Amino acid sequence: MQLSFKSGNIKVVILSAANEKMVADTGYRPDGQWHDVWVEVKFETHGIRNLRASLLGLAYWLTNNPTSRGLLVLVDSRITEDRLHHEWKLAQQTLHPEILERMAVAFAKKKHYVGLPRDLGDDFRVWLDQLVLKESREGKPRESFYAILEVLLHQWLLGKGPMTSEWIMKTVGCSYPTVAASLRRLESTLLRHSDRRVELRYFPKDEWARLLAVSDEVRSTTRFADRSGQPRSVDSLLNRLKRLGRSDIAVGGVIGARHYQPALDLVGTPRLDLSLHSRGKNVDWNFVKQLDPALQETKRRDEPAPLVIHLVRRVRSLFEPGEDRLPWADPVECLLDLHEGRLESQALEFVRSFRTAKRQTS
Amino acid sequence: MNGRADLRLVSPRAVLEQVAHAIPKDCRANIIIIGSLAVGYYFFGNDPSLRVHTKDIDCLLSPRIRALPAGKAVTERLFGEQWTYRVSEEWPSPGDAGTPNDKLPAVRLNPPGSTEWFVELLTVPESSADRKQQFSRLETTAGHFVLPSFGFLSIPEYHPIPTDFGIFIARPEMMALAHLLEHPVIGTQTMSTEIAGLILKRSNKDLGRVLAIARLSDGPSIENWPVLWVEVLQNKFGDEWRSLALKAGAGMRQLLAPANEPDFLEVRHSCEYGLLVSQPPTLDQLRATAERLFQDAIEPFEKLAEDPPLLFL
Repeated sequence: MQLSFKSGNIKVVILSAANEKMVADTGYRPDGQWHDVWVEVKFETHGIRNLRASLLGLAYWLTNNPTSRGLLVLVDSRITEDRLHHEWKLAQQTLHPEILERMAVAFAKKKHYVGLPRDLGDDFRVWLDQLVLKESREGKPRESFYAILEVLLHQWLLGKGPMTSEWIMKTVGCSYPTVAASLRRLESTLLRHSDRRVELRYFPKDEWARLLAVSDEVRSTTRFADRSGQPRSVDSLLNRLKRLGRSDIAVGGVIGARHYQPALDLVGTPRLDLSLHSRGKNVDWNFVKQLDPALQETKRRDEPAPLVIHLVRRVRSLFEPGEDRLPWADPVECLLDLHEGRLESQALEFVRSFRTAKRQTS
Repeated sequence: MNGRADLRLVSPRAVLEQVAHAIPKDCRANIIIIGSLAVGYYFFGNDPSLRVHTKDIDCLLSPRIRALPAGKAVTERLFGEQWTYRVSEEWPSPGDAGTPNDKLPAVRLNPPGSTEWFVELLTVPESSADRKQQFSRLETTAGHFVLPSFGFLSIPEYHPIPTDFGIFIARPEMMALAHLLEHPVIGTQTMSTEIAGLILKRSNKDLGRVLAIARLSDGPSIENWPVLWVEVLQNKFGDEWRSLALKAGAGMRQLLAPANEPDFLEVRHSCEYGLLVSQPPTLDQLRATAERLFQDAIEPFEKLAEDPPLLFL
């Protein structure tokens, strides 16, 4: 939702056609606008990669808005000022100086801000407080939207037919207004039945692309690297997982995709993708040590990660029971995993291999 | 002997073949090679390009009842084949009939024309109750010696692996268990010779070998160790097996404690200049190996010892 300042209140902004196109092209949109200042608020951004993504998104935005300024506000971030300074220097070497001059980054912790441009004054502070508050409330609906999208897609891929809003609410664990708002956003891709049930009409490419852009964040993807110098094979990790007998951990990725579509053109298993069904805020990662004590979380994308774990936050996991008490992640999770593993052509083939998708593309 | 004695890089297969050929044919079945040469032969005996650092080749004479006659025959044959007694400050020459047992040297012989390595004869304890060093007098035409036996040498004796040359090598997992049981704590005893410039604690060197074996083994095989360890302990130590099993991981646990970092550095040094010379691990990598060893072998082994026996009705 786009927000602006008007008479001391947060208002919905109507974007220009050029900015609408920008949103469609890049999947990026700032959270608010205060006069000529576009603001993005990021909560608990601890990774440099996410910081870079936000800086780049804001830079794109300012390219399209040459008289505006941009402000990135990092709320409750563990990124240090030194690290930010280092990243800023890197950005100076990469981004156009004219763009960078119009950008700023501020830290926010318990309504205390560090790094706000001084000329913005107290009115801006009041507005920013409201925006941060609003965004903190809206974080969940954004996750809910993608959870709803995933559920709709799940039903569509497996040819399960239409569903009621109530079923979606219970599956995702969200309110009726959230479901209604999400369905409105997906309106063009929906088929609404006379009994008020809904289903996807076709694969929602645009929304899917937006989900892919933020899927690491939405799914809290966590990568684990080997620190022994002798990485365990995927089979070995899988065997150990079977022995744990956990019903809340499902196999996705290449192995999961092969489960749904054995004919898929996937040679080898580069890593193990697992989906962890976890509704709580705190995730218990102890099971990773049980799979292999040599695994250690890594934030580096270029480091090989034999194990990648994605969180499934909805109420119903949609895991499919498998042999040896080892569930399979749902096909949408598998599809996201293929994209995340940069197996783009296989991801496309995977979607097309489902009967519903075949019907649509035939 | 104290002082410098550089470890030599040797081909496990070539040395094993040389030792085996020098041993009388009818005694070869009584010889089990233990230690780094056995581990090296097991893991890369078929790759002549891979070598191990070693200076002593421990030959375990087994069974105990055949140890003295086999030891006598082997010693006399080796001397006959121009092997030479390895002189040291402490043990300048073999003894004779008048030398008391505690003044007799062990059989330590260099191959003809080389002082790079030597064989040493050992034997298994007479009974499982013998944990302390015992020395049996060995009378040969070349002089009097002792055959040492100690601690848990009966474990590597269990189901040894025949080689192409008629002698046997101990199973790596059995050597690993013997070392674990031998060192329930990080001891103070040091090695008599340097390893690449450092005098290491014996416990660190031996526990380092356990980690080297674990690193050279694959995961699934290590997961079989607990059952094999139970089997050998039950076979060799009867009812005592549970209490032994519950002590087996103590020394290694102590080694992993942050306070014992200097000892762990010694462990890595022993690996770097020993069995893992071709791919020396970093400290972090070796710690990860130790953590996997606990997960795959030591903890399941302890669990087997803790669990009451299953009763099938």
